[in-house]
Amino acid sequence: MIMKFYKAPIKYLIAVTSLFFLVQQKSLADGFPLRPGRLLLNPSISYFFANKGWDSLRALRAFPANGQFTSTTFTLSAEYGISRRWSVVALMPYVSNTYQQTGYTSSNRGLTDLETGIRYYLANINYIYYFMLQGTVITPMYVNNPGLGYGLTGAELKLSFAGSGHLFGANDYFTIEDGVRQYFGTQGPWQDRYSATFGLSLDKKFKNQISVSFGGFYSVSDFKKFNVNPALDKNFAFNQVSLSYGHAFSKEFSVFVSGGTFVNGRNTGDGSSVSLSLILRPFK
Amino acid sequence: MSAISKNKTDNKLLLALALLAILPVMLVSSGKAQAKKIAGDNADVSTEVVAHDADAIFSNKAFFTFSVSNKLDAEQAGTVGYVVTTEKGERVAENSLKVNIAANSNKDIDFEVPALAPGFYKINFMINVSDYDDTTRRAFGIRPKEIQSQYPRPADFDEFWQKAKDDLARVKPNFKLIPVPKKSTSDRNVFEIQMQSLDNYTIKGWLTVPKTKNPHRKFAVLLGLPGYQVDLDPIVGSDDDLAIITLNTRGQGTSRGPIDTRRDEFISYKLEDKERYVMRGVIMDCVRAIDFVYSQPNLIHDNILVSGGSMGGYLALAVAGLDNRVSLCSAQNPILCDIRGLVNEVEWPITSIKKYVATQPGLTLEKVLSNLDYYDGKNFAQHINAPTLIGIGLLDPFAPPNNEYATFNLIPGKKKIMVFKNLAHEISGKYKEWEGRWMRDTFALF
Repeated sequence: MIMKFYKAPIKYLIAVTSLFFLVQQKSLADGFPLRPGRLLLNPSISYFFANKGWDSLRALRAFPANGQFTSTTFTLSAEYGISRRWSVVALMPYVSNTYQQTGYTSSNRGLTDLETGIRYYLANINYIYYFMLQGTVITPMYVNNPGLGYGLTGAELKLSFAGSGHLFGANDYFTIEDGVRQYFGTQGPWQDRYSATFGLSLDKKFKNQISVSFGGFYSVSDFKKFNVNPALDKNFAFNQVSLSYGHAFSKEFSVFVSGGTFVNGRNTGDGSSVSLSLILRPFK
Repeated sequence: MSAISKNKTDNKLLLALALLAILPVMLVSSGKAQAKKIAGDNADVSTEVVAHDADAIFSNKAFFTFSVSNKLDAEQAGTVGYVVTTEKGERVAENSLKVNIAANSNKDIDFEVPALAPGFYKINFMINVSDYDDTTRRAFGIRPKEIQSQYPRPADFDEFWQKAKDDLARVKPNFKLIPVPKKSTSDRNVFEIQMQSLDNYTIKGWLTVPKTKNPHRKFAVLLGLPGYQVDLDPIVGSDDDLAIITLNTRGQGTSRGPIDTRRDEFISYKLEDKERYVMRGVIMDCVRAIDFVYSQPNLIHDNILVSGGSMGGYLALAVAGLDNRVSLCSAQNPILCDIRGLVNEVEWPITSIKKYVATQPGLTLEKVLSNLDYYDGKNFAQHINAPTLIGIGLLDPFAPPNNEYATFNLIPGKKKIMVFKNLAHEISGKYKEWEGRWMRDTFALF
């Protein structure tokens, strides 16, 4: 019984960790090329809460025994421009998860999956719309701790399409991304991670902006049943929406506040999240 | 947010540069028809011409719709038609239709202009009805990529300019960079540039550089070249990625000095001798400005955009054709292109040149044209390897589209032309926006 309850939080953890990666990437306006020699640092903190979830038949149920899952994630991501077309990216999360229900508490904390990648600026249309391709390697930073992830090495190929323009007299931008990820090893899942973001500047000097995002995961594996080892549960799907507000204090320092919630899913939790993210450009 | 802001271009700044260069030449009416008010009545008749191609460029036949709006309470009867002429005024096609436009109604009349040879044509749409008559001037092109100059390049063109560059190289530049705090702004330092150019002529210009706390920061360069008889000022703005040089070539603005002509006379100054023609020095002044960029450690030497309008556009083509240190070339409405083709086609500068010929005993127009062959924009174009952007107006009376395309078609490298079908000697803000994005992408100023 305890194991069954415990299973759900792990999935949330995986989903939440990755989802907040999405949020952070929005803040970085992923999809646009980065100036050579420029470093973008993006530290962030996010908090996720869920007390219900969708089962494998997409039925939404409250966690038993007043169960609730919370997760706090600290992430540092960075991108460095190597040349006009190439940049390198890295992302390192640290998570702290807690699942509580009447008479039971379980916690996990630690570094999770390190992502390192290289991004290539493929092409543009009229210097307004950009196509980027990114290859990423996923490396678990933990051993034998299923509470922190699959524990499998993975690889991802992501294509993004981004552009900017004018709408309602304001500057706007959008980013559409789709990444296909494969975790290696026995029954490592194949995942499609997708997102679309639309942002609007609230003033001409780009001091303030808001953005809305839609994104989700679709994860497939030959292993379709739950297991006593929760990290082996690899079949799930969800979609989420989020809203973000950003303020630029200077060209070197911006702050983003985001909030998001799941809208539907399968075999995963239904939760909401808030995050605070900074963008720093230490060298100019 | 950061990614968006880094993609922003200081278009206002670039537009200002273009306007500085172009405005003094004279803005010419686009010839758009205006409604004629009927006395004592607020209602009127108005017309609009729409080409069936965004740039008014067609592959064979040209198609237009002539729309008439009759807001009068009376039927309008009469004719609507068009006359097509070559750029030199030879009539090549015409048509006229009888129309009856009911009171308070609109009427669209489609015209199909018969197939014509590659080139640009002027087309005048005329309406002559009961209470209204007007003419709307437009132009269109037929397969302009097939336009070729009929006039050859001088066999010794390259040698001529190599000698000019050799002569320039023998002049010690003696670059001076003089801070001008009075003109500096909160985010840019302004300097006056002084340098010795061909014939040891002192050339002046301006350099504005973003203020930065990083002593090692280097800047891409926008080299703004002057329009005809324009006095360029320093350009400041909020762009923190670009150093901006505005150059006053000899005989213009702060570089007048020994060459101090009246406005009309500058174009023909010493034109009787191709070795002493004023443009030889002017073009070498631009090359010297590139030397200046290379002398400055805080400027990125392989990130140089040369840009200008009218004569500035011509100079951008010339310097890009002579100096492969130019990274990007942007020429708006460049004059002096396919010069022999301008005779009997444009008023200026041919009238000024003819006037000069008439005052010089023994000098002939043919002699002058043979000298100008060495200064023809199209003859520089053949050696332009830098990616090049050209903007043209189809109604341009000084830089007609035939001549512009004859030049554009000769550029061997990457190139783009932006056509503004209803503009004369000017380009629109769209050009400057595209130029800014293009420059920023090429120089990786994301």
